[in-house]
Amino acid sequence: MKQWFAAGLLVLAVGYTAYGLSTLTLLTSSGRPAAGFFPLVIGVLLILSCAVNLWGDLREWIEAKQTGIVAVHQADPEAEAKADALGVDAHAIDGGPEFGRDVLIAFLYICGFVGLLNLLGALLAMMVFMFIFLFTFNRPHVVSNLIYSVALPGFLYGLFKILLNASLPVGPLGF
Amino acid sequence: MLADIASNLALGLSVAASPEGFLFLVIGAFLGMIVGLFPGFGPAAGIAVLIPMTFGLQPTIAIIMLAGIYYGSMYGGTITSILINTPGESATVASTIDGYPLAQKGRAGPALVMQAISSFFGGTIGVILITALAPSLANFAASFGPSEYFLIIAVGLLMLTTMMGNNKFKGFISALIGFAIGTVGVDVMSGQQRYTFGSPELIGGVYFVAVAIGLFGIGELLHCIFNGQHRQPAKRLRISFRDKEFWPSRKDYHESRWTFWRGSAIGFIAGVLPGSGATLGSIIGYSVEKKVANDPEKFGKGEMRGLVAPEAANNAASAGAMVPLLSLGIPGSGATAVLLGAFLMWGLQPGPLLIVNDPEFVWGLIASMYLGNMILIAMSIFAIPLFVKFLDIQYVNVVPVIVLLCVIGAFAINASIFETWILVLSGLVGFAMKSYGYSPAATVLALVLGSMAEETFLQTYIISQGTMNLFWERPVSLGLSIILLTIIVVPILLSLRSRTKGRQIDANGEAS
Repeated sequence: MKQWFAAGLLVLAVGYTAYGLSTLTLLTSSGRPAAGFFPLVIGVLLILSCAVNLWGDLREWIEAKQTGIVAVHQADPEAEAKADALGVDAHAIDGGPEFGRDVLIAFLYICGFVGLLNLLGALLAMMVFMFIFLFTFNRPHVVSNLIYSVALPGFLYGLFKILLNASLPVGPLGF
Repeated sequence: MLADIASNLALGLSVAASPEGFLFLVIGAFLGMIVGLFPGFGPAAGIAVLIPMTFGLQPTIAIIMLAGIYYGSMYGGTITSILINTPGESATVASTIDGYPLAQKGRAGPALVMQAISSFFGGTIGVILITALAPSLANFAASFGPSEYFLIIAVGLLMLTTMMGNNKFKGFISALIGFAIGTVGVDVMSGQQRYTFGSPELIGGVYFVAVAIGLFGIGELLHCIFNGQHRQPAKRLRISFRDKEFWPSRKDYHESRWTFWRGSAIGFIAGVLPGSGATLGSIIGYSVEKKVANDPEKFGKGEMRGLVAPEAANNAASAGAMVPLLSLGIPGSGATAVLLGAFLMWGLQPGPLLIVNDPEFVWGLIASMYLGNMILIAMSIFAIPLFVKFLDIQYVNVVPVIVLLCVIGAFAINASIFETWILVLSGLVGFAMKSYGYSPAATVLALVLGSMAEETFLQTYIISQGTMNLFWERPVSLGLSIILLTIIVVPILLSLRSRTKGRQIDANGEAS
């Protein structure tokens, strides 16, 4: 997946630069930088660095395929890279299984929640999301899930709507 | 000068120690401890998610609370590092190396107390240094022009990416993505629309808070699910400060007496340097402590100095990172970038003039950090059993609450469903970035600083009539340009040297 993400970034970088070139002015009539100048600099740097990055990720992927050795799953790749750069062994938290399917489900639920906001109103959408999420990932505790799904959204709604006077989506029931 | 500092601090204390200021400082510190406790959910995420909850507050009180979350999380993050070998956030990764072995040896109590003391020591030294340095740096920075500002931003982002080891290209790309997002909207110089695709929602640009909450909040949450934290049972740990074994021994204090100072000094410098931050500060602190020790073989096996050094360093770094933020208006890490966003949201423009124009705010914030560290050491020692109880809550119950806070918070800022979708998209991108070694912090940093970088770059270009000689004509610019070149060239030379060495070893191996 890493190489696909890198490839996607390269495509976006090319799109960003091409769209900028076709819609923005690079220099004013007096030869000064115009609105497209800075995006062009960023775009060119993005294309170059994304291409090098994709090449590195592809090489890693091909190597892993040839040798059958897959890199250990890292819990915090950024912090570990920094530790590596300083020669500190911070791999104690490496490893463990990956739960890609759960990420997909959670993400779809979040999308569903945002989609429901304007349809049901903030309070009902929060309750529905909370219950479905807990019912999926914490199935054995139905009663506590139910209490949790009513109490917490109610508390947050009260906090934002009443205490902070924030503007929240209103549903057909008026809340 | 000392009299000035004393009177400024007295002014600050009148703000921070007011009933409202003190209440929200305690709330911020407490929330920060909790934010630090939940693995994978760092200070940047905590601040971003809780920004909408400060809407009803005065700007100074709001920032005092958000800053409390920032440095409070440094205290809380280590509790899980020590007890369950899982750093609460990336700045406490180095504390895990010796913290967990200490707990395995039955010394969890002394480790927790020593981390609290070293955090307090590092944090307080850091705040003392802010008090001394921030006004001087602000005075010095008052003479900076666009070339200096552009170079500081470039040095900060390059340092952030260079320190990512093998992932430096990914760090560089992350920063460029932030700049690219920052170009959306109306160009301030010409008024031309850029990348708006005809959408009125994008004319004002992509709102930073939604992106920050998405990248740090939803992104980190999805990453925690990916690591299976939602499937882990609650950790039922019991710790009582009445136990005799709870307190550190005299030997622990004696052996660590210089470590407190070294860790704090290293951490503060790392915090002040743009782009370094608390994670790097703690790792350097650990690395240096191991190097100067007469018995480095003890490190990694439950050595108290290996815990004290990164803890003093990450707290000093979190204080140090406030120096460039307050005096230059340039954040050095993801968390301070989110804080800068909060400053701007409240109409405060950090920079050399902030201390002059709004001394109550600046000194109120600094004074609150002194008080905050005192509150946090008391909480960290005497409320450890309470915070350990939070680990009883299953992560699966925490996830939907954070999602609700993120989504409702993002919507509430401008009552915009469009921005809420930007949050969701940023969450997905943040998850991928975190999983594949990119740096969401660099993206947010570049997004916040994007317009300033563009403006200063173009001003330099125009003033120097296209020659860019302003980058080396002024002494400060010249110094920064040399640093910039060094950051770019040195890693390339080192990499070439190690490749040549590798080839020589291979050739020698084949020959023999």
